[in-house]
Amino acid sequence: MVMHTVSSYRFESLEETISQLSKEDCQIIAGGTDIMVQHKSPRGVPAKFEKPIVFIDHLKELKKIYQNNQDIHIGACCSYSELLKHPLIPKILKVAIQQIAAPAIRNRGTLGGNICNASPAGDTLPLLYIYNAKIKLRSSKGERLIEIKDFIQGPRKVKISKDEILTEIILPEVQEEGTHFVFEKVANRRADAIAKISFAGSLRLDEGRIIDARFAFGAVGPTVVRFMDIEQTIVGEAFPLDNMVIDRVVAGFDRKINPIDDHRSTAVYRKTVALNLLRYFLKKRAFKEGHRIN
Amino acid sequence: MLNKDISTSVKKKEHDGKVSGQLPYISDVKLDTLLYGVLYRSPVAYGKVRSIQLPPLPAGYEKIGAEHIPGNNFVKILKEDQPIFANEWVNYIGEPMFMLVGPELDILYQLLEQVEVDIEEHQAIFTLKEAIEQKDQAGIFASHEFGEDLDVIQSIEKNAHQVIVEEYETGYQEHVYLEPQGMLGIYKQDEILVEGSMQCLYYVKNALVSALACEDDEVRVIQSPTGGGFGGKEDFPSMMACHVAVAAKVVKKPVMLLFDRAEDMEVTTKRHPAKFKYRTALDKQGNILCMSVELFLDSGANAGLSPVVLQRALLNSAGVYKIPHFHAKGYALKTNTVPNGAFRGFGAPQSFAAIESHMGHISKKANRDSIEYKRNYMVKQGDPTITNGKFKDPVLLEDMIMDLMKVTDYAKKKAEYRSFNQKSNRYKKGIGASFFLHGCGFTGSGERDHIKATVKLAKTENDGVQIKISNADIGQGVLTTMSKIVAKELDLPYEDISFPYPDTKVVPDSGPTVASRTTMIVGKLLERAAKKLKEQWQSGVAQEVIEHYVHEEMIPWNEEKFSGDAYPAYAWGINFIEVEVDTLTGNVRVEKVYGSFDIGKAIDERIVKGQIDGGLVQGIAYGFMEKMTSKSGRIQQKSISDYGPPTAMDVVHIESKLFDNPYAGGPYGAKGVGELPLTGGAPAVQAAIEDALQISFYQIPVTPEYIIESLMKKAGEALD
Repeated sequence: MVMHTVSSYRFESLEETISQLSKEDCQIIAGGTDIMVQHKSPRGVPAKFEKPIVFIDHLKELKKIYQNNQDIHIGACCSYSELLKHPLIPKILKVAIQQIAAPAIRNRGTLGGNICNASPAGDTLPLLYIYNAKIKLRSSKGERLIEIKDFIQGPRKVKISKDEILTEIILPEVQEEGTHFVFEKVANRRADAIAKISFAGSLRLDEGRIIDARFAFGAVGPTVVRFMDIEQTIVGEAFPLDNMVIDRVVAGFDRKINPIDDHRSTAVYRKTVALNLLRYFLKKRAFKEGHRIN
Repeated sequence: MLNKDISTSVKKKEHDGKVSGQLPYISDVKLDTLLYGVLYRSPVAYGKVRSIQLPPLPAGYEKIGAEHIPGNNFVKILKEDQPIFANEWVNYIGEPMFMLVGPELDILYQLLEQVEVDIEEHQAIFTLKEAIEQKDQAGIFASHEFGEDLDVIQSIEKNAHQVIVEEYETGYQEHVYLEPQGMLGIYKQDEILVEGSMQCLYYVKNALVSALACEDDEVRVIQSPTGGGFGGKEDFPSMMACHVAVAAKVVKKPVMLLFDRAEDMEVTTKRHPAKFKYRTALDKQGNILCMSVELFLDSGANAGLSPVVLQRALLNSAGVYKIPHFHAKGYALKTNTVPNGAFRGFGAPQSFAAIESHMGHISKKANRDSIEYKRNYMVKQGDPTITNGKFKDPVLLEDMIMDLMKVTDYAKKKAEYRSFNQKSNRYKKGIGASFFLHGCGFTGSGERDHIKATVKLAKTENDGVQIKISNADIGQGVLTTMSKIVAKELDLPYEDISFPYPDTKVVPDSGPTVASRTTMIVGKLLERAAKKLKEQWQSGVAQEVIEHYVHEEMIPWNEEKFSGDAYPAYAWGINFIEVEVDTLTGNVRVEKVYGSFDIGKAIDERIVKGQIDGGLVQGIAYGFMEKMTSKSGRIQQKSISDYGPPTAMDVVHIESKLFDNPYAGGPYGAKGVGELPLTGGAPAVQAAIEDALQISFYQIPVTPEYIIESLMKKAGEALD
């Protein structure tokens, strides 16, 4: 029998893990909920890995959640289930996490994993984009911060060096008070489903005027998309928004979003629904009742 | 147990094994010298095989192909058109061309990748639309036409107030049994033994006798515990059995063939996509003057069971209605796609979705409530069937409908939803209903002429009784229900009846586990056998009794003319379904599901409830969720999450009710229940979505994509 052996590491500390990464090109596995599927062999044959594996799901250093001024720091290896239980995690992010897969996957899957997998349909990503989330990367040489939109380059493509590890996700200046959020995942069923399109939005109001607006769409392009130039055009507008303004914003997105046809849905559907959800959010007369989840 | 009503539930025979995880399925079987098989599948939809080039095979690895088949190179089903190994022509992408066998799967997969085949490609037919357009050249596996003379229809249409012309389409449906297909062939000195996941032991055995060109006692088939079938393990396992049996005979070792989910979804049979064309003439008040329907089934690349599926589709083409001057014509057409086969309902779900949709649309044209409208045409006891048979037993549809209208408070709910929908922009609510039947057992004289079921009961010296039939428990409870029938008749505790997984060496051919026939037909034979055994009972003596099928006198079925009684009995059902549609996304939330059924008499209430809940969920999902597409001959959805069968989160509690209506020909009055509950799901959910959106739909599944497209069209029309 041809034996495929692969070395694997499970270090006690983040330091040792990083030290190993500086010496050897490894495949990092956090929850494994994407990696194991991607490396799956046909029936009866174990998964195949080209590189040594480094397990990081147990590292305590990567499981912390804390607040620093207004910023929320989330350890990359916090599982979705852990995030759902934590008081510091914003409510709307919990709304998104609650819709990921099913309990077993939520017990394993991590926020850092969702980011590094960099699927345009990643369920936490649209919200992380509108939070302007910062990604903290560490290597033996030191630490650096990068904006999520710069970190994610395309499907399964992130800007990370072989010796780096994603340690923290920082949500800067989280202001839940006075900001109105929406997250909608549209999929073929209510669990264990991959988004056909997802939408996250936030509007921050001050004395009846919009002082901050952010919109992000998932599964309509190679990465989650946000168009800050369009967002800027409604800053300063009176709320509720005038229909003309809404039409203008929707038309702006209509020109910019270019989804595709695939085995999950159609380009027409994705675009129509994306714009429907945006318009619905913009048309809100007031922010009292949330939309229905699922 | 003794004095209890037979409907009272008991612990299922295989309960402990399943709940503890100890029951071994075929993929759990490990044998010392076991070899695995992997199939090389055609990469081309239609073409002539020029050459096959193999990489050098390591010791212990072999190619098994058409050249190794001692008998005929076709899978014995109905027609001789399905090769075991396609060595001359390939007819669909995924068609097995040969098998590589060897001890290590890893190596087998690598070898498969190094195979080179040269196939001369020919113009393939990929869609039902193309097959209909070219049907005279492309291949008709079967066709039937019956009903009113076309001259008469023409003259009625000429004088009609209006003629409604409507087309309707239904999509693929994948079985998604929990356990993928699996088969094991074991070489023995004097026989080839095949074990695996299957519904029809003797179909498999007959296919083996033909492929191996051997005597009846040189092959033996044992059913292994089977994790769901839904028809998917009716015809398909015969091919796999031929693969492993031929291989085992060559290598003289056990050979296992197991599919993983992706392979299973890509290449195994599915529900036939179908197209319907209606012409219905109405008078001024909207009453039906005549109706003609043409229906087309996409059979895929070979006939398989399609001719029989077509029969059931046609027999149900008028639904539960007595339509004046009805005419029907149907075709099973060839396409170069994965062969379609048996699937719970067997052609009827397509027809019911179509006729219920069409009747609903006509009622809208006539400005009448669809339930009220349909009730005018509902068949009653004594009415003729569309093939001039007779509904000889009581028909309880009217009572069932009245009851559910009361339970759901139908009129009030309709009004409530109308006013809710006026106020709500985003979400719209609706309620819809479906009325349906299922002809139990084989069509026409199939039981008498083809199946000729035989059952045995064997009593040991210790007075234990064993059931010997070839019917397979595939999760639906056959082990339990059959044991209950025999126990009741013999006045023995249910636990004293044993019913091992069937083995053709031990059990006679009591027919396949299909067509909602097992409880009604085989159960009745067992009831009679048990009665006989009781009369002859001698304690401490080994005894055996045999019972054969006795045909009930009916209006004789004529397959040529499509006339007479197609079925001995009918099970009936109605569904009411409530939905809420999100008009921004087209997503549908099923909020309430009601089902009332007349299955004669329940042999075990909990098992019946399982059939109802499972069937309804599968039927509802067929109507709006499960979407499978084929692109250039390739199935696009290869994972469960992409195909999207419902999860527990998508399903609500199902309110179901049984109406007792014992049928003399079934054990304790039981009729079939397996297929019936699936049939009404799709049409009821479509009707509910139509009610919510006030839009007509012309195909299932009514996906969010289809809903959004229709809403856009409606908005466009409103602007015009």
